[in-house]
Amino acid sequence: MSRFLPVASSVYRWLEQRLPVASVADYFSKKVVPRHKHSFWYYFGGLTLFFFIIQLISGILLALYYNPTQEHAYESVRIIINEVPYGWLIRSVHSWSANLMVGTLFIHMFSALFMRAYRKPRELMWVSGVILLFVTLGFGFTGYLLPWDTMAYFATLIGTEVPKTLPIVGDWGVSLLKGSGEVGAETLIRMYSIHIILLPLVALFLISFHLILNQILGSSVPIGTQVKDPPVPFFPNFLYRDLISWVLGFLVLISLSILAPWGLGEKADPLASAPLGIKPEWYFWPLYQSLKIIPPTVFSINGEMIVNGVLGIMSLFWLLIPFIDRKASIEQKSRPFTVVGAALVLYLILMIGFAYFDI
Amino acid sequence: MNDLGKPVPSSPTRRDFLSRLLKFWSLVTVIPIGTAIIRYVTPVQRDVDVRESLRVASVQDIERNTAKIVRFNKEPVIIVHTRTGQFKAFSARCTHLGCIVQFKSEGTPHFICNCHGSQFDINGINIAGPAPRPLSPFKAKVDKSSIVVSRI
Ligand code: HEM
Ligand code: FES
Repeated sequence: MSRFLPVASSVYRWLEQRLPVASVADYFSKKVVPRHKHSFWYYFGGLTLFFFIIQLISGILLALYYNPTQEHAYESVRIIINEVPYGWLIRSVHSWSANLMVGTLFIHMFSALFMRAYRKPRELMWVSGVILLFVTLGFGFTGYLLPWDTMAYFATLIGTEVPKTLPIVGDWGVSLLKGSGEVGAETLIRMYSIHIILLPLVALFLISFHLILNQILGSSVPIGTQVKDPPVPFFPNFLYRDLISWVLGFLVLISLSILAPWGLGEKADPLASAPLGIKPEWYFWPLYQSLKIIPPTVFSINGEMIVNGVLGIMSLFWLLIPFIDRKASIEQKSRPFTVVGAALVLYLILMIGFAYFDI
Repeated sequence: MNDLGKPVPSSPTRRDFLSRLLKFWSLVTVIPIGTAIIRYVTPVQRDVDVRESLRVASVQDIERNTAKIVRFNKEPVIIVHTRTGQFKAFSARCTHLGCIVQFKSEGTPHFICNCHGSQFDINGINIAGPAPRPLSPFKAKVDKSSIVVSRI
């Protein structure tokens, strides 16, 4: 080992003259993570990052064999599963990791809400996080169609119709998503390029922004929470803890991927009646269920329009929470935001439950 | 200190002029480029030889009290051979969110949509579920033992 040290130190000296390694390292070494009774929730951002990195790697691998055309998409996924060595595993990992990523992202976001981590000066971390949520849901939606099986086909058919009742831009939005009058070859290539080019670029940019802000601002402590002394240095202590959570995340991911390999339905037939049980991924169930239970018209307003309207207002509200919650920004308790958050969690869980049991 | 020495002092009027020019330039380029991109991503309706009517099946293909889905100008159309021997045709797209409907022959024959449970009677009228409108009707007539679908 020591034989390499002279080489290492001369490489270091070479670098130091061109890139201020020491001052950057010094800067990073100063970051600490506060310790308190809610510290546990700090792991979920890191876990979300872990699953995103898994998505990048497994997605790039899938793209080697996947063929985004209406004729060959289904067949190419079948080949990935049945013929390419370990193809079934890579695909299973990509699908399971997508779901785990959405799950950890939700936990991360709601813990940030309940801990008021969005309050001054971290407003921009919240805003970039909410946009990342939309980006992640976009990944899930655009990825779902790609295998071109019956479930994927009909779920996308429904999903692309959802904007239809928006005023003015509704029809345009639908045609933009579909790329033609119906879900077909044009839709598939649109979803594919959004999935593998647009969203990854946007996500990488936003994640970098989010992480750099986190480095600059450090982790927040919930209002009125007692911190334990001393805080944990981020490097190496918290990083090791983070890595332990990544190892656990990996174990969960790999067990699910092997024990419950992701399936593939029948090839989509655009001239067949929709079978029973068409559902999107679980994280769209609250929307799916709301669209299912709302009557066609409520007080002579179109039902879908109401769902869309509420969704739009909620999204905007969600994005702007740090600016609406004035009290938290001056370190005062703001109970209503806990109530709103808890009500939303309850609604999401109820709707997911109803959709699961087909109520 | 860099290798370039002191910057050249710029005259305020020249900088002013240049920055105004830049703003103007951004405006005149952003608008047309934006318009072009929006037009580019908006799909155009290519006319795939739109037919007024189409021979879609022969009468023997569809037994009484059954239905068949065929393609008519990009549109999935469901043709029903009723118990009384008539042929009826409707767009097979559910008026809720576009799933393909299914014909149910048991009891009173009707159509259902499995996506969110809408139901339509044999005349395409929405009778249950979230569908807001009846299925759009097409004309189906028998011509020399084949079924011809056309717009209404
Ligand atoms: C960032 C780079 C990514 C790349 C290059 C990529 C690439 C791909 C490719 C080629 C497929 C088609 C193969 C298949 O269907 O099995 C696919 C499917 C899919 N992707 Fe991604 N993906 C990425 C990220 C993500 C993320 C972040 C998510 C979700 C949070 C996601 C969710 C999905 C889903 C749900 C499918 C369908 C899986 C299936 O049923 O096979 N992807 N992706
Ligand atoms: S699409 Fe038919 S009921 Fe929703």
